[in-house]
Amino acid sequence: MTAPREVAIVGGGLAGFTTAQELRKHGYDGRIRIIDPEGVPYDRPPLSKEYLDGSMPAEKLPFVPDSWYADNSVELVTERVAALLPAEGRLTLAGGTELSADTVVLALGGRARTLPVPGGDLPGLLYLRTKADADLLRTRMVPGARITIIGAGLIGAEVASTAAKAGATVTLVDPVPVPLAPICGAELAVRLHAMHAEHGVDVRCAMTTAIEADGPEYTVALNDGSRIVSDTVLVAVGIVPETGLATAAGLATDQGIVVDEAHRTSNPAVYAAGDVARIRHSDGTLLRRHEHWESAMHGGQAVAASIVGLDLPQHGAGWMWSDRYGVHVEAVGDMVNGTPIVRTVDGVPVTAFRMESDGRMIGACTIDGGTAIRAARRIIDRGIVVDPSKLADATVELKKLAR
Amino acid sequence: MTSTPDPIRVATIGDIDEGAALVVDGDVNGTGEDIAVFLSEGRYYAINDICTHQYASLAEGWVEDGAVECPVHSSRFSLCSGRALNLPATQPEPTHRVELRGEEIWLYPGVPSDCVEED
Repeated sequence: MTAPREVAIVGGGLAGFTTAQELRKHGYDGRIRIIDPEGVPYDRPPLSKEYLDGSMPAEKLPFVPDSWYADNSVELVTERVAALLPAEGRLTLAGGTELSADTVVLALGGRARTLPVPGGDLPGLLYLRTKADADLLRTRMVPGARITIIGAGLIGAEVASTAAKAGATVTLVDPVPVPLAPICGAELAVRLHAMHAEHGVDVRCAMTTAIEADGPEYTVALNDGSRIVSDTVLVAVGIVPETGLATAAGLATDQGIVVDEAHRTSNPAVYAAGDVARIRHSDGTLLRRHEHWESAMHGGQAVAASIVGLDLPQHGAGWMWSDRYGVHVEAVGDMVNGTPIVRTVDGVPVTAFRMESDGRMIGACTIDGGTAIRAARRIIDRGIVVDPSKLADATVELKKLAR
Repeated sequence: MTSTPDPIRVATIGDIDEGAALVVDGDVNGTGEDIAVFLSEGRYYAINDICTHQYASLAEGWVEDGAVECPVHSSRFSLCSGRALNLPATQPEPTHRVELRGEEIWLYPGVPSDCVEED
């Protein structure tokens, strides 16, 4: 196979941008295009936090200063891709233009999932995926405005915090009694979820059965018989991976674009990374898609390494963070399996670990824990066996246990 | 016209633990920006303390392999050159020269470090 000379990256989120950045870092000197209808690639996490509350200005959202693209010869194409023609080394833009590309990277992420209930397709419902979505949502977060958020996962919870701080009257609906337990473990997830009510958010543990619009007002009907009337409804019930282009091009998909460990799709000239990609190991095991920031960055790094023929970067246990109500949450690894060990301060759980029966740590989560997660990550990745009594003792610095 | 502040004695050997840092307040060091003095593998380094990505103190971060990792979003900075090694940060941290005078650790605020990265 000849070395690629024209890489087209479809999607300017973290996975797409990282691919371009890493290709140049590795000395790839062929053409790189990033094609995205939104133009300059930007970072998404602030959209539910600092950007949404207005404390971060729009010019801080892009990954790099605009001059970076010219300095690194990375072309930005502000358009939507309509079709991939990998066999012909081309792709078609929505406007009809054809671009040549011997290598394509699909980094399209996902679109917001809609609620499969009557009224779930109402045009006035809000979602949060893009900067434009955040701009619109911000205009609704005014003191006294009634906002109903359906879904108390990461985005729903962060927006609830931001909206409550802005003075809006917030109702948060989720059928799961303790959301985020699979990411943070029950002990800390309970504490995190309780913060909503502590900050005046009306939390409803119920299924949404219908949404009705009446002029400017929306009514959300719940399966406990109650009805919530509000000015704005944000639906935050997860994403659907953008597999349309891949499917149309005949690539293998299975609730995501199926890729190997090198992030190659079923067509060797096409790669996929980020929220849209689903890794299938060589033994056939299909992993869950990882919808986290760092995972998208790692995906982009893996794609770039694959394209230039370098060894794949090795990554340890997956990491994520969230910010709400002035606290910083981080988690690493597996918080579902294993036995919990919880560190408390004044009776409040601060850091939780998950332990295998052989004494190895498999997961950790902390609320405002400083470098606790970094230390835990090292303990997990290096298989360091730590005395459980020290893990449970909040006065023992975790950093010391990780050395 | 701006002038470089005078060097200042910030600590003596033993004050800063291996893998830890001491923050020298912007008002004290004269640059107006907080500077963190790190000890990593027996060597002292100084870079600006606040992460170039978002507000966080790098002195609270994880020090390993000649880099400090921001405690909030895990951006890593080279202690030697101040270079941002991974996203989300992309802008470098200014470096400052550190000098040992016997047991004393002296900081030259605003004077870039002459440290050269190995690789």
